[in-house]
Amino acid sequence: MLINIIFWVTQRKWLIIAFLFGIVLYLFPPPQGLTLNGYRTFVILLISIMLIIFEPIPLPAVAMLILVFQVFFGIASPNEVAASFMTDAVFFIMGSLMMAVAIVSQGLDKRLALGIINITGHHTIRIVTGFVSFCAVLSSFIGEHTVTAMMMPVGLTLVRHSSDDPKKTGKLTLLILFSIAYGSAIGSIGTPSGGGRNVIMLGYLSQFEMGNLSYLQWMKYTYPILLVEIPFAIILLWWTFKPEKKTLDSAVRKLKVQVAKSGKITGRQITSISIFLFIFLGWVFLSPSVGLGIISLFGVVLYLSFGLVEWKEINRNTNWGAIMLFGSAISLGFQMKDTGAAIWVASELIEGLKILTDDIDFIRSFVSIFVTVGLTNFLSSAGTVSVLGPIVLNMGGDSIIIALSTAMASAFAYLTVVASPTCMIIHSSGLVKSSDYLRCGWKMTIMSIIILLMFIHLFWPLST
Amino acid sequence: MNFLLAVSSDKYSGPTLRIGSQIAKSFKAKLTIVYVGPKPKELFAGKVSFARDSLAKWKIYHPGIEVLRWAFNDLQSCGYLNKDKETTFDPINMVEGKDRYRMVLPSRNGQEVDLVLREGEIIDQLRKECNEQNYTISIIGGSKERNMAHDLIQYLPTSVFVMKNVNLKKKYNLIICVDDSSATKRAVRFVAIIAKQMGMSVTLLTVSRNETFGQDYLESAKSASSHLDSLKLSYDQKFISGDPVKTFIELAGEDHIIVMGASTRSAFAKFFLGSKPIKTLQKANCPILIVKGE
Repeated sequence: MLINIIFWVTQRKWLIIAFLFGIVLYLFPPPQGLTLNGYRTFVILLISIMLIIFEPIPLPAVAMLILVFQVFFGIASPNEVAASFMTDAVFFIMGSLMMAVAIVSQGLDKRLALGIINITGHHTIRIVTGFVSFCAVLSSFIGEHTVTAMMMPVGLTLVRHSSDDPKKTGKLTLLILFSIAYGSAIGSIGTPSGGGRNVIMLGYLSQFEMGNLSYLQWMKYTYPILLVEIPFAIILLWWTFKPEKKTLDSAVRKLKVQVAKSGKITGRQITSISIFLFIFLGWVFLSPSVGLGIISLFGVVLYLSFGLVEWKEINRNTNWGAIMLFGSAISLGFQMKDTGAAIWVASELIEGLKILTDDIDFIRSFVSIFVTVGLTNFLSSAGTVSVLGPIVLNMGGDSIIIALSTAMASAFAYLTVVASPTCMIIHSSGLVKSSDYLRCGWKMTIMSIIILLMFIHLFWPLST
Repeated sequence: MNFLLAVSSDKYSGPTLRIGSQIAKSFKAKLTIVYVGPKPKELFAGKVSFARDSLAKWKIYHPGIEVLRWAFNDLQSCGYLNKDKETTFDPINMVEGKDRYRMVLPSRNGQEVDLVLREGEIIDQLRKECNEQNYTISIIGGSKERNMAHDLIQYLPTSVFVMKNVNLKKKYNLIICVDDSSATKRAVRFVAIIAKQMGMSVTLLTVSRNETFGQDYLESAKSASSHLDSLKLSYDQKFISGDPVKTFIELAGEDHIIVMGASTRSAFAKFFLGSKPIKTLQKANCPILIVKGE
């Protein structure tokens, strides 16, 4: 019995620390300028961040705890919490996760593999260029983890065909895997459907009545950045992971033979692509009136109705815990705004950073870009936008620019395994060490921040 | 009997697998090879599992499956497993359980071999595995992690055999630390089986902090020697005054397997003060078996 208690304490130490920390903060009076409910919301936020980072309890439990605390602390009524929990952004995250299952289950990865290697040929540099470019463009529409899930088998098969001895292909493996992961991450900024965090930010913008951006308007701001980043990413990846083999002719030949066995494109695959194109057109033309999430859910309905995927498969591969967590994080974000906690944190941040400079624009950029990049590498990109969104939008300035720069900076998740699903997916192959992320990640981070700052200060003012 | 053998990779677990499987064979025990891999962050777990399904369609499997494949091949090459058409490693045969994947294999001597894949923090997962499957001994490689010795002994409900600094080229002998702990009798029985089956010599070692030896210590030593006599096993018996942990380690060097009974201290005392087995495991440079139960 005693041993079980000691073991439980050692395994759940972060739960105990988080609660003790919360209780101590709760007993203090609210800081000047912050309402009691705002202070309580801020305490819930800090506890939640600790629980999300260290995971001492399952994520759905964290999600429910956020909702329960809001009611227990008298911050909002049960109906208000329920209403803020389910938004169009949550519908979008739900729908895009389900559509990813439907798309990947069609076996389109083999078609993509054939398409890429037919264009790139057998030179390693051209193959890497193909992987980064293709992953970036595709992930901008269907989401980064879907593309990584489809492209990783292609990349790893190519590596396996290039040598039987893994020791001889260590750098080639890293080059290919990071080309897929970073390519997908770069692409996720391109459109609102590139990542759940983009939709979360759009949701905050419209809910806080700070502006609206259509699908195409978003692309007008972000797609040029995506296209500029691609060549720089290829150079940095090649420079960091100089591969052992400069050509992969026999590997490409073997891959072509393997892929050719899958035969001609099937009716199911054509239907699947057609449905996605239909949904894409819906996002472009209908999202301002019906929302991105509703269109995504309609896409899921179509995939199910045409028998392209079974509900059992969707249910098995959809992380309901993550959906609940994003729902409750967004709900907390709304309370941050309503209770004045967001504006208090924003003004405190600005006041604090005035020690460094009086340039308010610089401070806004610093928080929306540098703090976002820092937090996203520990908390995950979508989690960071959920938490920081209400704060950065209350810092003043052009809310559209702040929203876009924060959403984009949250995609610069190159430094750690836990930064984004793509980083975690390539790590799960067992072929990438945690230290490998730093090797190229810091270069990618600096490059991405410089390009983003150039666009914010030089090009975006021209287009507004 | 049911033995658990934890492996981490072909690079580090080779000697542990070879010696561990020989010991399981000595006891005619069922052997379960367990790989515990890192668990993806829960926020992304669904997406990682989704990507793994996609990889499996290209016959690219979980890294843990590749480690288990290596363990299977190694057990086949050393003759522990049959080399026939029925005894094959196919990832399709991994069956999903509550929070583990398992593959059952037939073995030459009618002994069962299971291959198990789990994900999560290693002590937590091994503890769950032990609680669910009723193992007698858990065999695991040495670790440089500071708290690993304490955690293994404290939290695993089974006897623990840590293959620390193990070398296949060495001829190991056994040193059993005989004291008044209730597990000493069981430890002597384990030593007798290992010594007989693997042809190792045995040293019965009783260490007292004082110049004189207590009645309990003397009775335990007598009981141990009687058991070995009854099995006609030759042994060397020593009574030494001094610091027990220091004496065990000095006498064992690098070419002995230390066997000792688990401490009778309370879990709370062990957590804060440690124990003889924990300190010996932390400082020794050789394999060590800590026997639990009476």
